[in-house]
Amino acid sequence: MYKNFFFHLRPRKVPARAVRFTLTWGLGGAATLMVVLQLLTGLLLNFAYEPFPVHSYLSVQHIQTELFLGRLIRNLHHWTGHFLLVVACLHLLRVFFSGAYVTPRRGTWYSGLVLLLLVLTANFTGYLLPWDQLAFWAITIASSMLAYIPVVGDLLQNLILGGTEVNGATLHIFHSFHTTLLPLAFLFFMSYHFWCIRKAGGVKVDGADRQNMLPVVPELLVRELAFAAVVSCFLLLFAMFFDAPLTGMANPSLTPETVKAPWYFLWLQELLLHMQPVLALCLLPLAFSIFLLLLPFLSQKREKPSLFVQVIFISFFLVIITLTITGVWFRGAGMKLLLPW
Amino acid sequence: MNTPQRLFVDAGQLSDFGPGTVTLIHEANCYLSRLDDGGLLAISRKCTHLGCAVPWVVERGRFECPCHASIFDSTGNVIQSPAPRALDIYLITLTHNRIMIDTSKTVKRSVYVAEQLFYPQELG
Ligand code: HEM
Ligand code: HEM
Ligand code: FES
Repeated sequence: MYKNFFFHLRPRKVPARAVRFTLTWGLGGAATLMVVLQLLTGLLLNFAYEPFPVHSYLSVQHIQTELFLGRLIRNLHHWTGHFLLVVACLHLLRVFFSGAYVTPRRGTWYSGLVLLLLVLTANFTGYLLPWDQLAFWAITIASSMLAYIPVVGDLLQNLILGGTEVNGATLHIFHSFHTTLLPLAFLFFMSYHFWCIRKAGGVKVDGADRQNMLPVVPELLVRELAFAAVVSCFLLLFAMFFDAPLTGMANPSLTPETVKAPWYFLWLQELLLHMQPVLALCLLPLAFSIFLLLLPFLSQKREKPSLFVQVIFISFFLVIITLTITGVWFRGAGMKLLLPW
Repeated sequence: MNTPQRLFVDAGQLSDFGPGTVTLIHEANCYLSRLDDGGLLAISRKCTHLGCAVPWVVERGRFECPCHASIFDSTGNVIQSPAPRALDIYLITLTHNRIMIDTSKTVKRSVYVAEQLFYPQELG
């Protein structure tokens, strides 16, 4: 019974070529490991965290400076959250270029998109929790961008913030989302994601021959464990040497010199500096989302995405990456352009 | 926790605010701007671009946003974008010669027009 349940998620044998590292670059596996890590470290942090203004800042300070292993666990949670977003995007790229989004993998693609949205939401709601100046103003700026959406913008902003500005109600909403709804949603959609992959006959392998099969235990399992160890070591070392930021306590009446949205929304903030608000914050993101949603129907019969689809996809990605890099490293006080060195 | 929003904030006596001054009313998170002709405006502190708190710069007599360098004059009008519209305002009333600011409702406006001014003389 127990064995049968897992059989729905994992096969017993896989084609030899499916276990090659360069097929998936281990990205889906790394993302899985990182979500599990987040659930564990988040659970620990939540024992010491208090979701109320002032208290939240003090409790994070307490975690950071006094609690046994507190600093390490907070650093791990912080950096893993950010790396998870990078890994999820790289995973999306690899899946795109393998053309692994058409039937029978449509369900996998869509559940993947939901997972991406969950990773974004988790990072965004987590960002506010330390309640320092960095968090407060980043969330203020990012949520203010919502208000530019025609008709429903103000309503959306009010709904998310629980009022017209970031305050205790916002912290309460963000914390609830972050620690109850999101973990459940992750478990559900990840299980669905894995089930879809299994149902489609495993990861997509070009020209796999069904003769050359390897047993999952130990061939795939050993490789997975080794890779998991490498990723864990990397994250642990990173968290040991780089502290998660904690600036002064949030002060609604004092805006610091440099205020930026969280880095994954900086491309939107950059767009807003260059073009008309509705175009920047509504039409362009909408266009890209619709493209991702329609992708499984655009090139149905092909093995790989057509040149046309590739050009659109790559242009979108390059624009987003360029704007993100500009926003993160080339903008100083007052969002003036500057060189980072 | 979230401090309950008071509807009316007592900004002080009318005589505290001379013509041509801009004063921060901390509890209401806004500025009381008294123009040269005596008209009053309660101007929100929240930048209409992306919500940063806008400081009043006395030396230059204008609001300068630290975030993306929007500039507003003492009526809240935009002097320099990216801010898309004038700073929001709140309604003002005068009770027993004290200026009361109604913080329960923010009034959005695209530009400053004279009708938005509150003249205490008329009522007081
Ligand atoms: C938390 C986020 C995610 C986790 C934990 C996750 C996990 C996985 C795993 C373990 C695999 C199999 C191994 C591999 O291909 O690397 C996989 C495959 C896949 N993922 Fe994800 N994924 C996530 C996000 C996404 C996103 C954002 C997309 C794209 C929209 C996506 C679409 C797919 C597709 C289409 C496959 C099948 C690939 C194939 O059949 O070759 N996933 N995912
Ligand atoms: C994939 C899932 C998750 C992601 C991506 C994520 C991401 C984040 C991020 C980016 C922060 C801000 C950290 C900082 O800057 O200090 C944060 C904070 C926090 N998270 Fe999560 N988180 C996840 C899951 C969870 C879960 C499941 C819990 C608890 C049940 C949790 C509890 C917390 C707490 C208490 C904080 C505040 C402590 C602090 O800021 O150090 N998280 N999270
Ligand atoms: S928030 Fe004031 S200029 Fe951007």
